[in-house]
Formats: sequence, structure tokens, C-alpha cells
Amino acid sequence: MSAAHPFDHMFQALADPYRRSFVERLARGPATVKELAEPTQVQLPAVLKHLRVLEKGGLVASKKVGRVRTYCICPDAFDPMSSWIEQRKVEMNAAFDRLATLMAETPEEKDH
Amino acid sequence: MGVKTDHRTFVIERDLPGTVAHAFRFWSDHDLKRRWSSCHPDWEVLEDRFDFRNDGDERLIWRRPDGVRQAMVASFLDIRPREHIVYAYAMRTNGVTISSSLVTVEFTAGRSGTTRMTFTEQAVFGDPKDGDEREHGTGAGFERLRQVMEEHAQAGASAP
Repeated sequence: MSAAHPFDHMFQALADPYRRSFVERLARGPATVKELAEPTQVQLPAVLKHLRVLEKGGLVASKKVGRVRTYCICPDAFDPMSSWIEQRKVEMNAAFDRLATLMAETPEEKDH
Repeated sequence: MGVKTDHRTFVIERDLPGTVAHAFRFWSDHDLKRRWSSCHPDWEVLEDRFDFRNDGDERLIWRRPDGVRQAMVASFLDIRPREHIVYAYAMRTNGVTISSSLVTVEFTAGRSGTTRMTFTEQAVFGDPKDGDEREHGTGAGFERLRQVMEEHAQAGASAP
């Protein structure tokens, strides 16, 4: 499997108990950073760091309105259909990387 | 039960080094195409057919190390040299179709001898539950993960 597989980010995102607790909280509905931080003994900057990891893993999304950033769970995050299409895209992109390398290495043919 | 299929479309755009004619060679020449499109050196090739013309077909059948038969069967619908290739293809695992797709690959000249390639795939997937039962890899693991998380979420919601 490719090193850049999207599941890598996802499993990394879920490897931490704080991050799992945020996912569980967001599964019940959107919440602001402050609301997410309140029940934990974690400082706001650390909470934001965890949330960024979850966002990179495609598990949560965020929206900033004024000075308040609200997080919500991505409805497609656990959809097996999305995982198939993501996998297909990763594979095609890897193939096109190989195509570009091969094209650069191969001399052009004269038009006939 | 209702509709059990799902349609997904995705587009990949790439700038390739070389002219459109050069890029097209790598899609139309059997050996050149295999050199970039095959990515599973541990799969045993059982059949490899490439008939690049309108109504021609492409067939690749492998045996994976776990014994599962994997197949890609395609039919070229509209080939316009150095312009576009339209083909339909299906992915099959042990004879069961996992996905069926219509693909359009378009080539346009970019700046200073490069090629802009636009790959559009419109895929139809079957029932994801069937897929999870068939897939030994990420699909099944993913479904279990989803269930565990749903249970956690429910437990959390019912707590006082």
C-alpha cells in the first residue's frame, strides 16, 4: 500500500484518547472549541492541535464565524463508499506520478 | 430496501512533461501503458490483453497472493488520437463486480510542450455491505471501526 494512504491520517487521528473523546462529543452535534475543551483538563492550544489532527484525518470539519470556530463531524468519514472512492483516487494519482516520471525519462518520438 | 448502488464522480487533472502525442503513446502502447499503470508486482498475471481501438477491449486478470482472483475488464468506446479516450471498465473480485465505470481521458496542449491531462471517472459501486464482506482489507476494518464509534457515541449520549 502507498505510504500516503488516507487511512494513515485517520488511524493516527484516532490513536489518542483525547481525540477520540472529541470525536465522540462531535458525533452528538457540532461544538465550539471552548465547549470541546471544557470537560477536559487540556489547555485550548493543545485542544486546537488535536482538532487539527482530526481535521487532517478527514474526521471533523470546522467553520469560523466571527471569532468563534465551530467543529462538526464529517458525515462521510465512516462511509465505506467514500473509502473506496478515496482509495481509487489515491491509486490513480500514484499511477499518474509513475506516468509523469516515465514520460520525462522517455524521449519524444518524431511525428509520423 | 430501495436503491443499492451508488454513483460517484471524480476528476484528476495533471500536467505531464511532454507533448500531447508523447502522452498519448503511454495510453495507446501496450508495453508503455503497463509500465505505469500496473502497481502490484506481487500479483500473478493470468491474462493480459490490450486491443486499443474502438470496440476493442482490455483485460487484465491477476491472482493475488491471498489466492483471490482480481480482474479489470475494459472496452474502448471512443478513441480520438491525441484528443481523448473514452472507455468503460469493471473491477471484479472473484468474479463479482465491485465497481463499473465510465472514464474520459482528455489531452490538451499546455505551456511549453507540456500536456494537461484530465481524467474523469464516473463509477457505480454496488452495495457497500457486499463489498465489506468481500474485502479482507481496509473495507471490513473500516466498517468495524464505524460500528465501534457509533456504539461509543450512543453510550456517551445516554450517559447522565
